[in-house]
Amino acid sequence: MSVLPETSPTPAGDRRTPGWRAWLLLAPMVVWLLAFVVAPTCILLVYSFCQRDELGRVEFVFTLENYARVLDPVYLRIFGRSVGYAALTAVICAVVGFPVAYCIGRAGEAWRQRLLLLVMVPFWTSFLIRTYAWITILKQEGLLNGAVQALALPLGPFDLLYTPAAVVLGLVYAYLPFMILPIYGSVEKIDGALIEAAHDLGAGPWRVFSSVIIPLTLPGLAAGTLLVFVPAIGMFAVTDLLGGAKVPLIGNVIQNQFMQARDWPFGAALGMVFLLLFAFSYAVLLRFRNRGEEVV
Amino acid sequence: MKTPLRLLVALATLLPAVRAAAGGELNLFGWSEYVPQAVIDGFTKETGIKVNFETFSSNEELLSKLVAGGGNYDLVQPSDYAAEVMIRQKLLAPLDLKKLPNLKNLAPEFTRLPHDPAGRFTVPYMSGTVGIVVNTERVRTPVKGYRDVFSPAHKDRIVVLNDSRELVSWALNTLGLPVNTITAANLAKARPVVAEWVKLVKVFDSDSPKTALLNGDVDIGIVWSGEAAILWNENKKFHYVIPAEGAHQFIDVLAIPANATHLSEAYAFINYLLRPEVSVLISGAFPYTNPNAAARKLLTSEQLANPASYPSAGGRLETFRDIGKAAADIDRLVTDLKSAK
Repeated sequence: MSVLPETSPTPAGDRRTPGWRAWLLLAPMVVWLLAFVVAPTCILLVYSFCQRDELGRVEFVFTLENYARVLDPVYLRIFGRSVGYAALTAVICAVVGFPVAYCIGRAGEAWRQRLLLLVMVPFWTSFLIRTYAWITILKQEGLLNGAVQALALPLGPFDLLYTPAAVVLGLVYAYLPFMILPIYGSVEKIDGALIEAAHDLGAGPWRVFSSVIIPLTLPGLAAGTLLVFVPAIGMFAVTDLLGGAKVPLIGNVIQNQFMQARDWPFGAALGMVFLLLFAFSYAVLLRFRNRGEEVV
Repeated sequence: MKTPLRLLVALATLLPAVRAAAGGELNLFGWSEYVPQAVIDGFTKETGIKVNFETFSSNEELLSKLVAGGGNYDLVQPSDYAAEVMIRQKLLAPLDLKKLPNLKNLAPEFTRLPHDPAGRFTVPYMSGTVGIVVNTERVRTPVKGYRDVFSPAHKDRIVVLNDSRELVSWALNTLGLPVNTITAANLAKARPVVAEWVKLVKVFDSDSPKTALLNGDVDIGIVWSGEAAILWNENKKFHYVIPAEGAHQFIDVLAIPANATHLSEAYAFINYLLRPEVSVLISGAFPYTNPNAAARKLLTSEQLANPASYPSAGGRLETFRDIGKAAADIDRLVTDLKSAK
C-alpha cells in the first residue's frame, strides 16, 4: 500500500482496508452470523461424530458410523433424487423466469414498479398457506378439474395432487421469484445501445439473444440458479403436502432423524454432507458468475 | 391431536414463553389440537391460576425437550410408551393419589396399563385407536383388516399415517408377529409385506389424514380414530373398522415432571380435567375415546354411537411399548422402501 501515492488512493485500495467504523457497522451482522450460523454448524459437526443412547440423547463418544451410514445406497439415492428435483426446478424457473424478468427489466419506469410488485405480492402470505392453497387447486374435486369441466374441455380429469409433478410444480411456484429478481437486476443494467449495435452489425434476434443478452445477464442467472437450487434441495414441506410424503427427499430424511427416529447424530451427519454439497455448488456457480462479470 | 400446521406450531414453540414471576401459575406442555382453549379458560376463571400452554406435535419432540432439560414444565401429556420411558429414566414425579379424588371417575380398563402398572405416575387423558376408514360410497367390498385395505384394487386410493412405526406394526400384526419386540429377523419378514403396501399408497399424512378422504382424493385409509370420528360426524358414509389382525391403542396421559415447581397447581388442573362436566368438553372438541366413565354418562347418544370414538367390535387392541434404538432401524427400512419406488 505504501507504494501508492497518498494523493490518489484507488477505490479498490479503500475497499480492502475497512476502518474501525466499518467493522462497527458490520458488528451486528458478524454477531448474528457467529450466533446463528457458525455456532449451530459447529454443534452439528460435533454431534455428527457422536453416538446416541436409547432415549435419543447424544452421547459424546467418537464414531464415524454416522458418515458410513450416509454412504448407504438408500441415502445416496435420495441425495441424488433431491439434486435432480432441485435441478429440474432451477431449469424450469430459469426458462419461465427469464422472459418475465426480461420484460419487466425492459418495461417503462411506471410499469416496471407495478410488475415488480406483482412478483413480490405472494410473499405477503405465509408460504405454508399458499402451499395449502395448491391442494385446493390440484385435488381431484378441486378448482383445476372444476374449471376444465366447466369449460367442457376435452381434457382430464387430472390426477395431479400427490404426484411428483405436483412436487415440482410446488417447488417452481415457491422459488420462481428468487429467479426473476436477480435476472431482472441484470437485465435492467443492460445498455440498450449494445443491443442496437448488435442489430446494426447484422445480428438476428437469436444471435443478439445468445451473444449479447445471455452473457450480460449471466451474473443474474447464476445468482438466481443458486437461490433456487440450494433451498430446493432441502425443502421438505412441499414434498409432504403436495407429494403425499410418498417419495422422500433429503430434507424429509433429515427431519425424520430429529423427530421420529430420534437419531440426532445421524441427522447431523446428513446435514453436514448437505452443507458440503451447498458449498460445492456455490463454488461452481461463483466461477460462472465471475466469468460473466469479466464479460461485463 | 395432530395439527395440519405442524411447522407453524413448531415455530411457535420456539418463541420464549412469557411467564409471570409470582405463583398461581401452571406451565403445561401438551399436544397441539388436544386441550380445548375453553377448558383452560374455565380453569383460570375458577381458580385464578394462569396457564402457560406450550404445545408439541410428537412424543419425540416432548422427549427431546425434557431430556435436554428445557422448559421447566409442571404438567406434561405424553402417550403411553413415552411415559414408560420417562418413568424408567426417572423424569416423572410419583403422584400423591390422595390429592386426586376425581380419579374415581376413570373407567378401570384405562388405568394400571403396562406403561404404568401401579398407576403411580400417570393419569389417563384420552385414548384412541388406529383403524381403517372406508368411504362406503366408493368401496363396496367388505373391509375387515389390513390385507383388505392393501389390495391391488385400491391402488392409489389409500391414505395412511406418515409414521414408520405404525406402518411396520400393521405388517407385523398381519404376520402374527409381536409389535413391541422388534428383531432383525421379524423386520426381514415384514419387509416384503411393507414393500408391497407402500406401492399402493397415494398419500402418507399423519397431521390431517382426513383431508385426502374428505377431498375425494382417496377412498380408504388407516388413520387416528379421532380423525375418523370427525369424518363420521361430517358424513356417515365414512365407516370405521378396527383391523381384525390386531390394532394399536394409544392412551395419552397426564404426568408431573420430576423437576416441576408448581405442584399444587398441577394437581388442581388434573382434578379439574377429571371432572365429568369438563371432560365432556374435551370429547366435544376432540372426539377420541374418553376414559372418564362419569363423563361418558353425560355424552349425547350420537357421540356415543360414533363408531370411531367408541368401537364395538374388531381385533385385539395393544398399546405400544418403547423400542429404543429399533426406532432407527424401522425408519431406515421404511425410508428405503419408499425411495425404491
